[in-house]
Amino acid sequence: MNEKSPGNFEDELRRRLRPIDAPEGFAERLMAALPVEQKATVVKPLAARPSLRQFGLPAALAASLMVAVFLGVRVANDRALREEQIGIAASQQLMQALRVTSQKLDLAYEAVNNPPTAGEEENRS
Amino acid sequence: MSLSAAHPMPDSLLLQARAGDRNAFAALVRAHQGSVFSIGLRMLSRRDAAEDLAQDVFLQLYRKLDSIESLEHLGFWLRRVAANLAIDWLRRLPYSATQPLDESAEVAAQVSEDDPLMSRELMRLLGELAPHPRAVMLLRYQEDRDVAEIAAMLDMPVNTVKSHIKRSLTALRGRMIGAKLIDCEELP
Amino acid sequence: MNARVLICLAAVFLAGPVFAQSKGQLRLPEFATLADKASETVTVTLDANLLGMAARFLSNEDPEQAKAKKLVSSLTGIYVRHYTFDSDYAYPKGDIDGVRRQLSAPGWSRIVEARSKKENTNVDVFVLIDGEKAQGLAIIASEPREFTIVNIVGNIDLEQLHDLEGNFGVPALGIETGKKAPTEKTPTEKTK
Repeated sequence: MNEKSPGNFEDELRRRLRPIDAPEGFAERLMAALPVEQKATVVKPLAARPSLRQFGLPAALAASLMVAVFLGVRVANDRALREEQIGIAASQQLMQALRVTSQKLDLAYEAVNNPPTAGEEENRS
Repeated sequence: MSLSAAHPMPDSLLLQARAGDRNAFAALVRAHQGSVFSIGLRMLSRRDAAEDLAQDVFLQLYRKLDSIESLEHLGFWLRRVAANLAIDWLRRLPYSATQPLDESAEVAAQVSEDDPLMSRELMRLLGELAPHPRAVMLLRYQEDRDVAEIAAMLDMPVNTVKSHIKRSLTALRGRMIGAKLIDCEELP
Repeated sequence: MNARVLICLAAVFLAGPVFAQSKGQLRLPEFATLADKASETVTVTLDANLLGMAARFLSNEDPEQAKAKKLVSSLTGIYVRHYTFDSDYAYPKGDIDGVRRQLSAPGWSRIVEARSKKENTNVDVFVLIDGEKAQGLAIIASEPREFTIVNIVGNIDLEQLHDLEGNFGVPALGIETGKKAPTEKTPTEKTK
């Protein structure tokens, strides 16, 4: 490396100190270590579903089909619940944003429509 | 996955993660794991310790997601926690636990194909800096943070940050010249 | 703000197609250092997608939420950065200057510049006009212990926006009373 100016050394430092990839599978190992939280999901109880045996299906196939339906419903419900959570959080943020906006517009109104009197001292340059 | 100007991370990802979406959280992890791991590796000089540190940082993030206000805040928070945790560990771990396991060659090759010897020597010299100036140099030249931000992250005065940078640059340059890895120059 | 001024502005800005998301949107700088110093932080980042989701969960029965739902129907983004501090002027002016520079770009007009020496507050309201339509609104408010930037993007109905006054816990200040502005200045002029 030919150094003609301090800036080149700093550029070289930046080049050689670029972030390195984390080890393969890092994110997966981390996610596996996260605490599992129980979230309420809307799932129809298995007992409420009609038995597929009445259609003459073998027990194993009937069970597999019911599991597949159960999982499908659960995935759809999980997605719906997630979207609901995001929507509720977003609506709360929206109301908060509009409150702040309203307060600041009122500040502007106050300052414009209640100018200082002639005798008021300057307290800020 | 890494952040880039061409493919900015949507702000909604943070909102989703805060709402309990584990896939969204995993995406945030993947976007920042390189930075956090690299801070750990270059502070602690060992891959195993760096991975432990990175995992600790992201576990803390998972617990504190509600306090993260924006993606910008997320980047600031991760770097701050990673750097301060690494400084803490350096203080508390026995000396032997922070000595490189001869992985520096592998690390150097990962970053620079043209002169792995220089990269290896630079990593070694960086490892000889005291914890605080080492953290300052990584936040400045690896993470490209400005002086004010580094001061806030490490809770130190701006002038102290500037002083660490100046002294560390002088020390590193001098040692590299001494090792004939760079040409002689007029030092400021 | 004078009701007549607002109604005129609303007449200009009402209706029309929704414009591209990026117009009217400010690049808000990293305020991470401020967030750490602040005792209270409000950060809102809602793009068009999230605004749509939010609107679906607003109630038509609640008057506040119903007004909000109507207002955001034509918006494509709402961005708020609000910080409260425990000591006076804990925020550096430089953080605000970067945003102000964007507001001096063509298209942006300052419609309110309010200064209150009594309260030590400065509030500026800007609007981005494209053709005859407003596509952006920005508010920068600085008080001794608070600093706020609001950026609203999309087709903005200012009359609906000022209808928010009197809601969200803020008392009505009588905008509709037809209070006469002092003769030596208009509502958009600086107050001293």
